Amino acid sequence: MISRDLVGGLAAVVIGAVYLYFAYQLRVSALDDSLGPSGMPRIYGWLLLSLGLILTAQAVLSRLIGPPPAAGREALRGEWEGQGRRIAWAAGLLAIGAAYLFVVEKLGYLVSVALLILAAATFLGARFGTRLLAIAALGAVALWAIFALVLGVSMPSGLLGRLGV
Amino acid sequence: MRKQRILAAGSAVFMFGMIAGANAQEDYPVDTVTLITHSSPGGGSDVFLRELSRYLGPILGANVVVENVRGGSGAAAMANLAQSTPDGSKFYATTPTFIYTSLLSDPEYKYTDLEPLVNFFIDPEVIYTSANSEYQTLEDVIDHAREGRGQWGAANPASLERQALEQLKAAADVNAAVVTHEGGGDLLINVLNGTLQIGVGEVQEIQSQLEAGELRLLATFSDERLEAFPDLPTVEELGYDVVVRKFRGLAGPKGLPDDVIAAWERAVQEVLADEKYKAAYEAANLRAAYMPHEEYAQFIEDFGNETRVFLKESGVIE
Amino acid sequence: METLVQSASYLFDLGVIIAALAGVTWGIMGGALPGISPSITMALLLPFTYTMEPMSAIVLLASTYIGAEYGGSVPAILIRTPGTNAAAATVIDGYEMNRQGKAGLALGISLYSGVLGSLFGLAMLILLSGPLSRVALAFTPPAYFALGVLGLSVIATLSGENLVKGFIAAILGLMVATIGTDPVTGGTRFTFGSSELLSGIEPVMIMVGLFAMSELLVQAGRRGEAERVTSRPRIRFPDLKLARRLAFPQSIGSVIGTFEGVMPGAGGTIASFMSYNEARRWSRRPEEFGKGSPEGIAAPETANNTVAETALVPLLSFGIPGSNSTAILLGGFLIHGIVPGPMLFQRSGEIVHGLYAGLFTATFGMLVMGMLLLPACIWLVNRPRPYLNAFIFALILSGIYSIHNSVFDLGIMMAAGAVGFFMRMLRFPFLPTVLGLVLGYLVESSFRRSLVLSGDDLLIFVNDRISLGLLTLAVLFIAGSLGKRIYDLARRRRVEAFSQGSEARE
Repeated sequence: MISRDLVGGLAAVVIGAVYLYFAYQLRVSALDDSLGPSGMPRIYGWLLLSLGLILTAQAVLSRLIGPPPAAGREALRGEWEGQGRRIAWAAGLLAIGAAYLFVVEKLGYLVSVALLILAAATFLGARFGTRLLAIAALGAVALWAIFALVLGVSMPSGLLGRLGV
Repeated sequence: MRKQRILAAGSAVFMFGMIAGANAQEDYPVDTVTLITHSSPGGGSDVFLRELSRYLGPILGANVVVENVRGGSGAAAMANLAQSTPDGSKFYATTPTFIYTSLLSDPEYKYTDLEPLVNFFIDPEVIYTSANSEYQTLEDVIDHAREGRGQWGAANPASLERQALEQLKAAADVNAAVVTHEGGGDLLINVLNGTLQIGVGEVQEIQSQLEAGELRLLATFSDERLEAFPDLPTVEELGYDVVVRKFRGLAGPKGLPDDVIAAWERAVQEVLADEKYKAAYEAANLRAAYMPHEEYAQFIEDFGNETRVFLKESGVIE
Repeated sequence: METLVQSASYLFDLGVIIAALAGVTWGIMGGALPGISPSITMALLLPFTYTMEPMSAIVLLASTYIGAEYGGSVPAILIRTPGTNAAAATVIDGYEMNRQGKAGLALGISLYSGVLGSLFGLAMLILLSGPLSRVALAFTPPAYFALGVLGLSVIATLSGENLVKGFIAAILGLMVATIGTDPVTGGTRFTFGSSELLSGIEPVMIMVGLFAMSELLVQAGRRGEAERVTSRPRIRFPDLKLARRLAFPQSIGSVIGTFEGVMPGAGGTIASFMSYNEARRWSRRPEEFGKGSPEGIAAPETANNTVAETALVPLLSFGIPGSNSTAILLGGFLIHGIVPGPMLFQRSGEIVHGLYAGLFTATFGMLVMGMLLLPACIWLVNRPRPYLNAFIFALILSGIYSIHNSVFDLGIMMAAGAVGFFMRMLRFPFLPTVLGLVLGYLVESSFRRSLVLSGDDLLIFVNDRISLGLLTLAVLFIAGSLGKRIYDLARRRRVEAFSQGSEARE
């Protein structure tokens, strides 16, 4: 059975290995101290790698000596039930965010943030309609007022800026 | 909530008032000049620029505003500037940092992508020790390092100060650990509590401690003695061939028009001679060192090459 | 005494009062916006202080600082987003209480603890500036290393049921802290040629990602499966019984806060995590921590508000700013030609007295503004979930953008959110990650600096008395937590699971 700990352990091993690969490529210079820029990263990398292996071993062992794996398929389903759907929904929200990153410098902050609220609220289950449109518009204006007007952050102006608004 | 808006609005009105007041009689090609700094608001370069902008505006005949473009120790500011139009509306406040960042981290836009405009100041870098320490002269410190092991401090890793100490160490041929810190404050504490024998920094950073008699100056890295401390020997006089010039000037995008350069050369000489401004910058221990455009461009090029050689020899860069 | 009398005379100075109230209000707002750190909040005001009276300017900036340190707790409790780094520890129990419909009480506790912490810190600042400044001087690089290790030792108790997972999470944080410019050589590490990464990753981006973004993702996955309890839009202060219970964690917070505040570079985040951990260790009801314990809000909030006051000690006595925020305050002084440091009290004593009076006024301003503004905030978070979450998403994207005006940072925050989502799914705790992230740079740089100092002699950590003391304490703490785990295991009791954020076993 593939438990969550097994996945976590393997992920740690992979991250540790990739990090170590880059840690060993760090430049050496005459201004270095004895430990050097790569000293701590190497320690962290090896620690993560070994801890990942321990976690993997724990996961495998607990399966061997734990409750009988009779209901292998059942247990697997219990461990991961509904997770695929959750990941899909989360990925959807993340995609909306990624789209925002992509358009914010083209469309400008005000328009993009209104679209973001609209898209995210609809995606999360709000009913599409005039009420939602109004909320998105008002929310965007409120955020714009706080960040751009009051705090003076130079938010991307995009289209509106180019039109001279 | 309402209160802040009123505050912000009130201050904004005030600022516009100031800008209007500073408005121009001369014909500088643009109305507003933006001076960009990579330092955070309240940092050394920021305070220097904001002070300068007050006096510079009327003389230059344009509104001078300061903008902080942080990130990447100047890399973001260089990129911002290199891509702007060379119409005299935007300049970058240069310190040695922009050369170190260019060489060390190899960003997309480097100091060679900018056009040095003029130089204002050279900040004297001094060597100081705690007033309680046994070291009376630089020689005492060097002797200590020769017999055993010295502990010297620089404010930042891979900075001008670090380079100066490494060069001093090489010139004196002694064994000293050059310890780097996260800024001048950190360094100051370790000098005051005796962890380090000496630290290197600008006079203005340690002014308060000097006045209170908690620190003692040992030498200056400048090319000649300082007016404020006529008894303080230079490192060169003491027999070590190390001179440090921490410059403060401006750079613009490549291809600045001649009239803009001429306007700045005139304005900078005038502002440096301004009585009120002079009192302000001398109180802050800045030394006026005006360099016109051509001289400054050459200076930056030489400075860049020297630094590159140092960093290469010490193996920091390829 | 004399200082007190002279400061008191400024309590009725109109300029000081206005500056203090305006500053603290502006500060609360800035601190409450995720990504807008106390230092940014102050920096935004800095240009306007040029034309002000020196005393009003200094009071305005300092009041903004304490307002912002408090303001960070509001989104921490209401939307699981630490508004400031130091509010990260408040998220743990604050957001839990909010989920149980006790947002009004949680906000009341944080306000009340913040005011107490602030007053305590101010008293320390006024009365004990001299002795406290000697504490700051006594901290050498090995002592800072030991302090960082002591902070990291908290991981042993914040790791939840599986210590290995806690360590993995902590190392992830330490790894992120190595990105950027090397503290000793100044070379670059793990930046892959990107100039955005040169100065490292701001901890707040990762924190907002791990806490807030991952919560949005998890809730998107649940699609309204979970029951939701809303809170009444009213601030409730603790009654006498609760106040008595909170007194002890508050004392812990104020003592730890005082010491962390005076040490340049240590800061509020370490103070609040350590106070949280100590409050839990000495609490009569440690099992409630992580499940909405009022003590878990009181301790860190007292600590980070105390830090905001005592952080002025090194600034005023040496002219040394210990954090970005105090660096901006230093700028405020310099703008008006006042140089903080040993001569300050002689030369510009009146400014210092005005500052003390202003901070006192600001603390009460904080109480009043909190009571006025907070009910509206609770009302806002009671809106239907889809709208609320869409708005939170927009808010954190706007806040993180304003740190460096960079879309790249938004990408980092969302990536941290995705990592947080999977860490929760795989039942990894992420408080250790936050600690590793915050302490990684301090631990590495002071460790290497110490070795440079001593010529690679590890004995420097034993010869320095403060370092020896702190390291011993850290070893005792770790041994204690490990011992307790083994004891629980031997008694076949379920290891007292304490792991915030990871998804509970169904």
